[in-house]
Amino acid sequence: MQVLTDLIRSIPGLGDMSELAMHITISAIMATLMFIVMALCALIFTWMERKVAGFLQSRYGPMRTGRWHGWAQAVADMLKILGKEDIIPRDADRAMFVFAPILVLLGSLLAWAAIPWAPGFVAADLDLGLFYIFAVSSLAIIGILMAGWGSNNKWALYGAARGAAQMVSYEIPLALATIPVVMYTGSLNTQDIVIAQQGGMLNWFVLRDPFLFVAFWMYFIAGIAETNRGPFDMPETESELVAGYHTEYTGMRFAFFFLAEYANLFLIALIAVMVFLGGWWAPIPFMDFLPPALTFIIKGVLMVFLNMWIRWTLPRVRVDQLMHLCWKVMIPVTLICVVGSGIWMMVSGQAG
Amino acid sequence: MAQYFQSIYNAVSTALVGMSITIKHIYRKPVTLQYPDERQALPDRFRGFVHNDMAKCDSCNICAKLCPVDCIYIESEGKGKERMMTRYAIDYNKCIWCSMCTENCHTGSITMSHDYDHSVYDRRSLVYEFMDPREGTIPCHRATRVDTGWWVEPKEDKPKPKPKPEVEAPAAEAAPPVEPVVDEPTDDKGEDK
Repeated sequence: MQVLTDLIRSIPGLGDMSELAMHITISAIMATLMFIVMALCALIFTWMERKVAGFLQSRYGPMRTGRWHGWAQAVADMLKILGKEDIIPRDADRAMFVFAPILVLLGSLLAWAAIPWAPGFVAADLDLGLFYIFAVSSLAIIGILMAGWGSNNKWALYGAARGAAQMVSYEIPLALATIPVVMYTGSLNTQDIVIAQQGGMLNWFVLRDPFLFVAFWMYFIAGIAETNRGPFDMPETESELVAGYHTEYTGMRFAFFFLAEYANLFLIALIAVMVFLGGWWAPIPFMDFLPPALTFIIKGVLMVFLNMWIRWTLPRVRVDQLMHLCWKVMIPVTLICVVGSGIWMMVSGQAG
Repeated sequence: MAQYFQSIYNAVSTALVGMSITIKHIYRKPVTLQYPDERQALPDRFRGFVHNDMAKCDSCNICAKLCPVDCIYIESEGKGKERMMTRYAIDYNKCIWCSMCTENCHTGSITMSHDYDHSVYDRRSLVYEFMDPREGTIPCHRATRVDTGWWVEPKEDKPKPKPKPEVEAPAAEAAPPVEPVVDEPTDDKGEDK
């Protein structure tokens, strides 16, 4: 965070700030920034999702709100949702019901802290960065269970039970798929992982060896399941459970779940970019003139597009198929990837 | 074991097939019409709201009698040359768009228009009055109409009776309600609002 420190020091009167004050200021700025980015990505991706869904089905999606291609639709929806009545069901477990959306949002907001946007620009430069991201994003599972239980609604409870089972299961291949990268880098620090991929597309971890290529797709599929989207939206199956664990939520509390869903979507895409797709490095070295953060975000948005493309193409899987895919296919394959990359590293002499 | 790998292969390959299909749709022009701005081209014989041209209608009551749901209300007073039409209304709550009235109208005054998007707040406003009560009554008999300036001789009307009933022409002129079927094929063309 040297960039930000220097920037604050350059403001007249703030040059002689103490270390602690500086730390607190920077944390506050970065937390606000991350929250703004989260809110913005929820706004932009709801619009983008509807446009992508539309064009994939030979229609337009929103066209009326705002002049150009309904760009203001998401803003209008957000304003509407903020104006909705805040209802807590009479028989709901009040404390759980109120606290659940906050916990779900917190789970994804905390994980954003370790995302490396540009060289040296990361909210929390942790040595255990990647591990930390997977650890805190599990908080959302507790939130979902609390939401389902607290709602006192059978659909919500079903959705929550499914969501918890799915997210707990898919966390294993999600984390296992990144292990080969950690082996290559020798570090869990998110900055180090990106720096290890410097110099063109061929140095990205996806293309380093065939096992990593498979691991990338395993990560991607597990990521879709982890965000409860696409063909794995078992917790929210609108044709079976009304809306899953957020059936009873309205207004601002529902917006929290909504925000968390899209924040997680972008977060998973950004982690995929950071771990496998070279982070902020441009695909071809001469494209380095682009700001690193912009390259990073563009790659993330492309991954989100891929995610939406899958969501609007494939039909939903059954619960048993979901579990079969996780435990019998993805975990063995990711384990093979870990062992395979290890052997590849030794054979090609890249072992650190 | 072979089945296990086969199922993984099937899952991946079918998913890729599906995704290649959906991505092709991105390059296609969307089929959506932006409705109030763009409209679908309607076929010529589209059955929209029934329209009656009061300048042609002679209150023969055929439409009202034929209507299977009795949605056409015609009221008139007086007899013979003095007969005056006082009301012509169509109740679109009842209308089933069967087109019986338009096919059998001998003057070609009642037609199917191309209007289809009339929404109202109250179903009572779906009873369309074709006569403005402020304009008074309309003479029914053709001779009286011509005298009072109500009759506008439509240009399309003239060639119609001539080629078809060559011999019966005077009879047809004398008693218009008797030959209701004669005009039907040219009805749509001759009258459009």
